[in-house]
Amino acid sequence: MTARERILSRLREARPPFAEVAPIADRRRMVPEREMTSRELTGQFIDAAEALGCFVYELDRGGAIEQIMELLDGDKSVLSWDEADLPLNDLHGALASLGVRVAQHNSGEVRVGLTGVSAALAATGSLVLESGAGRYRGASLLPDLHIALMRADQILPDLEGWTAMQAERAQAAFREASNTVIVSGPSKTADIGHQLVKGAHGPRELHILILPQA
Amino acid sequence: MTVELQSNDFIALADIALANPDLQQAVGSGTRGGYARRAEAMFAHSDEHGEFMRQQAAEAKRRALRQLPDLLETAEANLLANGWRVEWAEDAEQANQLALDIAARHGVRTVTKSKSMLSEELGVNHALEAAGLRVVETDLGEYIIQLNDETPSHIVAPVMHKTKDEIRDIFMRELGMAPTDDAEAMVAFARQMLREDFLSADMGVSGANFLIAETGSIGLVMNEGNGRMCTSLPRVHIALVGIEKIVETVEDYATLTQVLPRSSTGQSLTVYTNILNGPARSDEDDGPEFAYVILVDNGRSEIYATKYADALACIRCGACQNACPVYRSTGGHAYGWVYGGPIGAVLTPLFVGLENALPLPQASSLCGSCKQVCPVDIDLPRMLLDLRWDQVQAGESKAGWDAAMKLWAIGMTSPTRYALGGKAARAGQAVMGDFMPGPLGNWTRHRDFPDFAPKPFRQLWKERTPTLNPSPTKREGLA
Repeated sequence: MTARERILSRLREARPPFAEVAPIADRRRMVPEREMTSRELTGQFIDAAEALGCFVYELDRGGAIEQIMELLDGDKSVLSWDEADLPLNDLHGALASLGVRVAQHNSGEVRVGLTGVSAALAATGSLVLESGAGRYRGASLLPDLHIALMRADQILPDLEGWTAMQAERAQAAFREASNTVIVSGPSKTADIGHQLVKGAHGPRELHILILPQA
Repeated sequence: MTVELQSNDFIALADIALANPDLQQAVGSGTRGGYARRAEAMFAHSDEHGEFMRQQAAEAKRRALRQLPDLLETAEANLLANGWRVEWAEDAEQANQLALDIAARHGVRTVTKSKSMLSEELGVNHALEAAGLRVVETDLGEYIIQLNDETPSHIVAPVMHKTKDEIRDIFMRELGMAPTDDAEAMVAFARQMLREDFLSADMGVSGANFLIAETGSIGLVMNEGNGRMCTSLPRVHIALVGIEKIVETVEDYATLTQVLPRSSTGQSLTVYTNILNGPARSDEDDGPEFAYVILVDNGRSEIYATKYADALACIRCGACQNACPVYRSTGGHAYGWVYGGPIGAVLTPLFVGLENALPLPQASSLCGSCKQVCPVDIDLPRMLLDLRWDQVQAGESKAGWDAAMKLWAIGMTSPTRYALGGKAARAGQAVMGDFMPGPLGNWTRHRDFPDFAPKPFRQLWKERTPTLNPSPTKREGLA
């Protein structure tokens, strides 16, 4: 018998040790639902993200590029997702014309990373990032400063709202990306003297640029 | 460093912890802070809602455990469909050998590791290092622990027992850090030290907080981002997964991955809620080329067959440690194995054998806080009592205890002897004051013995007027 067979047979031989637990009739969400207009939803997202220590901006295209340049603060290179997954057309071209080039995706020493998002979660101020072709994991992880570009209409109420949307899309949607990460604020640690410090291994700052609906 | 089993030395280890002012300060502030943040986060919306979500989480774990063998097969099929390679290990030796084989197969020399309590059970670092590999713990707390050749003392905050000053001294001594009193500077220093290892490691080893059966996904929670590094940058990733980590559906996962951080650190979600679905896809430029899941039993299937099976529902949040008056005083190392606090007092005897962890079921005042804060409602006080029962059944209680209980039984089974015993005790206290003689002195060494009432109840009852003393038959008539 293999280890697998022995483990499974031991489990099957055990008398089911758990009393029948009554199913939860009306499952709830962690953050209770409430009716919201899209403006209120955006407001809730911004409040929650700022409470986590994020910097949030509502900008148009011109304002967004200006903000990115300001955050680059003279840097000549940036990590970035491919343009197809960013909500700003020809961003790389615009940056190139301002003297900023996109670095190799796994460069460990670039200070700023640019990504889009798959969705944003209002209840917790979170961003959902799904890996894939051109959607590099490193861009939201290696740099000191992460700039996430999103549109206001990508905001969903909460995590349960996102998983429900995935389930509606297709059975396999949840497992399509090799890695989905739900980012809630900048990297943190409290391991040294129980004092909260930002920027443990991931980005020290998270800047979220919200662009108008498509 | 591999955890050395010392649970039978609990009393001595606790004495050492109690005499260490740094540990007292660090564990006291860490546990109390965690306790307060948990209450705030779990009940942020209302007490009723917080309790409802706790039961929703408890139900999800019980339902998964009830179907454990079937769900493991479902999970395996879905893991394979996602491109994971799946291995099974019955014990630590098999799990470590599998990790070694994988490392050898892929020519691995350097390993970055993210936090995993299972890996502490297995001693996987030791096994890999013995084969000549370099293993770097990358969670900041675990990194400090590794530098100082220690083991984690708390499930979530491994270095909870150390003050900032002690950690500074470790960094200065082991890594030549320039002197500083600034926690931010220390974090920045560690970030710099580990960055090179993240970028150059050949293999990453992680644990798993959840294994979602219906999608073949691993769920990990983390705040620093080191776990993302370990599972994204190296060519090879191994996830060590205890077989009890299974949840049935994505919906269950959504509940549990939010209840866990609220219960643990008081966060709504950890900074990174990471979902892993196998190796990088063919059109992806980063992510591991090879992704392995090692499903580890290591005693779990045996616990599954006992009345302690419910302990397998634990999601390792550390709330019971933060709540426990014993843990708050002793920290985790006193428990003498991987898991400290109430969950450790239950799991350790189950994993290593009751005879090797005799003091642990007694290392509790049975105040009930641990059950109250448990996000999946494990009845830890009940289990501690059951373990004490098992000890007595196994004849593990001391002869003196048996003699005392016999004496007690003699006194309690006759009214005359009972009254005599009361008189003797009063007379005894008048002579001894607050100190009890002989072995009972262990109890009064740190406590005042409560004063006996000047008159026993039986005498007070007799002295009352008959009108205030309705006869038992009358009372029954009224009821």
